[in-house]
Amino acid sequence: MSKPDDNKIGISNSIRTLRFLNNEMTQKQLAEHIGVTRQTVMAIESNKYSPTLEVAFKIAEVFNLPLDKVFSYRSDK
Amino acid sequence: MNNKQKLIQWLQETSFREVTLSVDFIVTGYISYFYLSQLLNATPEQLASIEWLSTVLLEVIVYSIVLMVVSYIALAFISDDELSRPMDVREKQINLVGYKYSAIILQVGVVLALFQYNIAAQDFEFMQSSVPHLPLHILVGAFLAAELAHYGVQLYKGRSGDIYE
Repeated sequence: MSKPDDNKIGISNSIRTLRFLNNEMTQKQLAEHIGVTRQTVMAIESNKYSPTLEVAFKIAEVFNLPLDKVFSYRSDK
Repeated sequence: MNNKQKLIQWLQETSFREVTLSVDFIVTGYISYFYLSQLLNATPEQLASIEWLSTVLLEVIVYSIVLMVVSYIALAFISDDELSRPMDVREKQINLVGYKYSAIILQVGVVLALFQYNIAAQDFEFMQSSVPHLPLHILVGAFLAAELAHYGVQLYKGRSGDIYE
């Protein structure tokens, strides 16, 4: 399984890869699992929107992984 | 991928909330066009007449209500259960960004209208306007522009995905 993209500054995630590895789960299916819209999943995947802590935990729960396997944070320091 | 397939794909990617916002935007745009065309095509006597002005404003209100009701009935037929679901946090944030721009335009409009009213009331020599009831037109224009900004910003932010800039 791939790790979250560690090269980018800020929050990044590996949701797209994880969806693919979980029976090619669609964005809509993931959105229904975590109670947000498909547009929000698209925005999270493309790192244009940082989810709330609750949504982040829900996403990790869907993939049955700890939070740091789904999301990573890299500062510019 | 031909244009028809691109259109189908675009429609599939579009959420029902976006469709609703687009319809609101188009309806408000049409009402703004109607109001502006009435003003631009009016004679000086009509512009000075309070009866004519109140008739135009009444027409604007009636058109707004009728178009909104008709569009919402039409949308209700093609809706899935998306609108019955509460907005998620991101959508609420986008909604607030829309309100922010809307509020700025309204504030500027009200200040301009007050400024114009004072100029007319004090009978200053400079910046005299030949348009009667100009403060009222500024208020109506600011209201319509604020509504357009409210819907337009939500559409843009929702589609671009980036709500922080």
